[in-house]
Amino acid sequence: MRNLRLASYGIHGAVGNGLDLDTVLDFAAAFGTFMERGRVLVGRDTRHSSGMLHSGVVSALLSTGCDVVDFDVCPNPILQFAVPLMGAAGAVSVSGGHSPMNHNGLQLIGSRGAYIEPVVGETVLDIYHARDFTQAPWNRIGSASLPGRDVVEAYFDALAGQLDVAAIRGAGFSVIIDTVNGAGCRYVEPFARRLGFRAIPVNDVESGHLAHDPEPRPRNARQVAAFMHHVPADIGFVSSSDMGRLSVVSETGETASEEYTFPIIANHILGRAPGGVVTNCCTTRMLDDVAARHGAPVTKTPVGQAYVISALADEDGVIGGEGNGSVALPSFSRAFDAFLMMGLILEAMAVKRVKASGLIGELPRYHIVKRAVVGEPYRIYRALESVHAMQGWRDGGKLSAVDGLRVDWDDGWIHLRASQSAPIVRVISESRDMQSAENRAIEAARMLEHLL
Amino acid sequence: MKDYLKVGISGVRGIAGETLTPQIACAFACAFGSYGGRGPVVVGRDTRASGPMFERAVVAGLQSTGCKPLLAGIVPTPTLLYLTKKLQARGGIAITASHNPAPWNALKFVDDSGLFLPPARALEFFDIYHQRDFSIVPEADIPRPATLPDPMAGHRADILAYVDTVAIRAARFRVAVDCCNGVGALYSRPFLESLGCTVFSCYDRVTGEFEREAEPLPENLGTLSGLVRENECAIGFAQDPDGDRLALTDERGNPLGEDLTVALAIRQVLDVHSRGPVAVNLSTSRVARAVAEQRGVPALLTPIGEINVTGAMLAAGAVVGGEGNGGVIIPAIHPCRDSFAGMAVVLELMAHTRRTVSELRSELPRYHLVKEKMTIRSDEGVRSLRAVRRHFRNERLNLQDGVHVDFPDRWVHVRMSNTEPVLRLVAEAPDENGARELIRQVRLAIGAL
Repeated sequence: MRNLRLASYGIHGAVGNGLDLDTVLDFAAAFGTFMERGRVLVGRDTRHSSGMLHSGVVSALLSTGCDVVDFDVCPNPILQFAVPLMGAAGAVSVSGGHSPMNHNGLQLIGSRGAYIEPVVGETVLDIYHARDFTQAPWNRIGSASLPGRDVVEAYFDALAGQLDVAAIRGAGFSVIIDTVNGAGCRYVEPFARRLGFRAIPVNDVESGHLAHDPEPRPRNARQVAAFMHHVPADIGFVSSSDMGRLSVVSETGETASEEYTFPIIANHILGRAPGGVVTNCCTTRMLDDVAARHGAPVTKTPVGQAYVISALADEDGVIGGEGNGSVALPSFSRAFDAFLMMGLILEAMAVKRVKASGLIGELPRYHIVKRAVVGEPYRIYRALESVHAMQGWRDGGKLSAVDGLRVDWDDGWIHLRASQSAPIVRVISESRDMQSAENRAIEAARMLEHLL
Repeated sequence: MKDYLKVGISGVRGIAGETLTPQIACAFACAFGSYGGRGPVVVGRDTRASGPMFERAVVAGLQSTGCKPLLAGIVPTPTLLYLTKKLQARGGIAITASHNPAPWNALKFVDDSGLFLPPARALEFFDIYHQRDFSIVPEADIPRPATLPDPMAGHRADILAYVDTVAIRAARFRVAVDCCNGVGALYSRPFLESLGCTVFSCYDRVTGEFEREAEPLPENLGTLSGLVRENECAIGFAQDPDGDRLALTDERGNPLGEDLTVALAIRQVLDVHSRGPVAVNLSTSRVARAVAEQRGVPALLTPIGEINVTGAMLAAGAVVGGEGNGGVIIPAIHPCRDSFAGMAVVLELMAHTRRTVSELRSELPRYHLVKEKMTIRSDEGVRSLRAVRRHFRNERLNLQDGVHVDFPDRWVHVRMSNTEPVLRLVAEAPDENGARELIRQVRLAIGAL
C-alpha cells in the first residue's frame, strides 16, 4: 500500500512507494527556503534508504543556499543537542524512528533543537505546495562540511553533567543495550565509557537491516530478555532506530512495557525536586499517580514530540515525555533522548540502590492494551467522529478530545486516535484490571472495524 | 532570451540554480538507472561550485533505482569514460559542463562501453524521463555508494604504456600547464611529472570558479604564455575544466590555435604507433586532414559531437582523430577526447623528432581558420541553412550536420549548435581574406549582412 504523510514536523512514508525522492527533495528545498540561507545540520539513521534520502536532502538544502553540516549517521537527540550548541538555524534528521522497515521520514528541527512547532511546519508545507523554492545562484550555492569530533564529545560531557556519574561508576553495572542496528550503534561504547558501566551491545551492526521491528515494545525486547538469562546483567535497554524511544528489560528478564520508561524516570526526578510534568493525552495513568505522589502538576498535550516539548516551555515543566517510551529534560535539551533515559535510569538504580525490577515495582500496576485498526486513510476521521457521537459505549466515562478521543473511568481509560504515520487508528486501553482493559479495547476495535 | 535547460545528445545542460536543479538532476539519474538496469554506475564531476550538490542528487537517484554509485569524485571526463568500461559498470554520469562558463553545469550519460550515449539510445532514455516511469527498487535492495580510490591510476597507466616514456623522460622537458581551475588542478602536475617533466602550473587551484575563460582559445592563454617564457619551457598546455580538450603554446608562449593539437597527434600516431583511417568532425581544420593525406591515410568527416566522432572512428577502425576544438581521440587508450593522452603524445612527438614546437608548427601546412557565431532562433536557423545550401548548390556539399561546403583548398561549415541557440560559422582558407570571404558569402546567402 502506498503511504505518505506530510505533517507539520516532517514527512513520513513507505520508501519508493509514497516517500519518493522527488517529494523528499522538494520538501527539503521547502525547509531550506524557510531557513533563509542559514546553516542546517543533517543526520540520519542506518536504514537501507537513509543514506540515499540523506544525499537528496543535502543536495536540495545546498540548492537553497543553506550551508550544511553533514553528521551522517547520528541519533536524533545528538543532532538536536548540536543545533543550539553550534548556533545553527535548524536541522533535518532522516530517520524512520520507530516505524517499520521500508519506512522512512524527515524530521525538521528548529534553531533551539526541538522539532519545529506545528505552526512553523505549516509554513514549510505552504512553501512545499507552492513549489516556491529559493534557488541560490551558482556562486551562492551552500557548501557542505563535516562536524568536528568535539560536538559529540560536548554532548556526552553535557549528558554526564546531568548525572551522578560517580554513583553510576561505583555501582559497576553491566548493561545490555539493543540499538536495533540503528543510529545508536556507534555511540554505545563512548556512552558507556563516559558513564563508567560495562555495555553489552546487541544488534549493533549498521547493516541497513533493522534487527527487529524498531518500536521499543515488549514483543521486540525478547532478544534482550533471552540474553539476560545467559549473560548476567543489571538491566537491558531496547531503543528505536533514531534513539528517541526506549524500553526496559529487568535483570530478571521481564520485558517492561514502554509505558514504564517515563514513570520510572519521573518518579526519580520528581523525588529529587518536584516540578511540572508534560505528557500527551494517551500516556499511562501510572504517570498521573507518580506525579500526584510527588505533588507535581501534569499538563496533557496532543500526541507528538513537538507538542510535548512546546508545552514544556509554556508551562516551565521539569520533565516531559510520552507513553511510547520517551522522555526529555528541558534542563538538558529539547529532545526525546534514549541516552538521557538510560543515564537517568542507571542513576536511579545507583542512587536508590535498587535493581531494575525494583524500579518497576515502585510503580502502581496497570494493564495496558494497544491495538491498531487498519482502515482506508480517508475514512478514519469520519469513523472517529461517528464514535464520538455514540453514547452507549462510554458507560458514564468522562470524554475529552485533546487529540482523538479519550474516555476516563475510575479504574482506567481508553484512547482512540488516528496515527500520523500510518493509515490506522491506534486504540490504547488501560485499566487496573487486565480483563476490563482487554474488553474495552476489543469493543472499541469492533466498533471501528464496523465503521471503517 | 531565457537560458534553457538543453536536453540533447550532449546531455542535460543548464545554469545551476536557474534551469538545472537537484530535482531535475535526481530525476534524470532515476531515469538513467531505470534505463540501464541495476548495476554499478560511475559518477564523477569537474570542479564547478555546483558539482557537490548535483553529485548528491545524482547519487540518490541512482540508488533509488538499484544502481550502486561508484564515486570517482573530481575526475577528468576521459577518466570517467575509461573507468566505466574498465570497471564493467552499467554506465556512468559525468557532472560537467565541459568548456561552458562556471555558472553552467550538465549531466552527461555514458553507456556500458564507456562511450557517451549514442543519439538513438539517448532518445529511449529521455522517454523514460518524460514518462516518469522509474524502476524504483524495494528499500532493502538500495545499494550503498562506494568511493574509488586514486580514480585516475588505471587511465594514467594505460596512457604511459601507450607512449615511449623512456624517450619522453630522457628529454627532461620543462613544461607549463594551465589547468583552468579544473580537474587538471588535481591530476596534471603528477601526470606530467610521471613523464619526467619539470612542471610550472597556473590556475591550478580548485576554487569552484574559473579564473580564466573556460575555452582554451588563444585569447585566453596570456598567463600560460608568460609562464612558458619566464621559465623557458619547451611547451605550454592549456586544458578546459573537465580535461577533455587541450591547446598548446610553442616554446615562446605563442598559442598554436586549438585546432592544431589534433593535427600534431595525428602525425605522431600515424608515424609511430599505427597506420589506419583518421576521423575528424566537419569543423576541424584542414591541417588535420592534410597530415593524414600526406601519409596516404583517408580522413573521414563526421558530424559535430564527441559521440559522432567516436562512433565513426570505431566503425571505421580509425587509429586517431578528434575535434578541431582541441579534442584528441586515441581509441587504443580509450575512444574519447582526452587532454592527458594528447599531452603524452605531443611530448613523445617532441622527444622523437627533437624539434621545438615552433618547428613542428612550421612543418604543418598553413591555413587560416575563422570561427563566428550568430544568435538565432532555431526556426530561423533552419531557414538559414536552407539558404546556404541553395547558395552553394553547385559546390561539393556534405549535409551530415548543417551545411559543409568543400573547395579544393578551402571550406566553410554552417550548423546549429547542439548546446546554445546559435548558428556556428566556420571557414578555412590558405589566407585570412579567403576565409572571411567564405563567411561573407554565407552571411549574404542568409540575408545577414
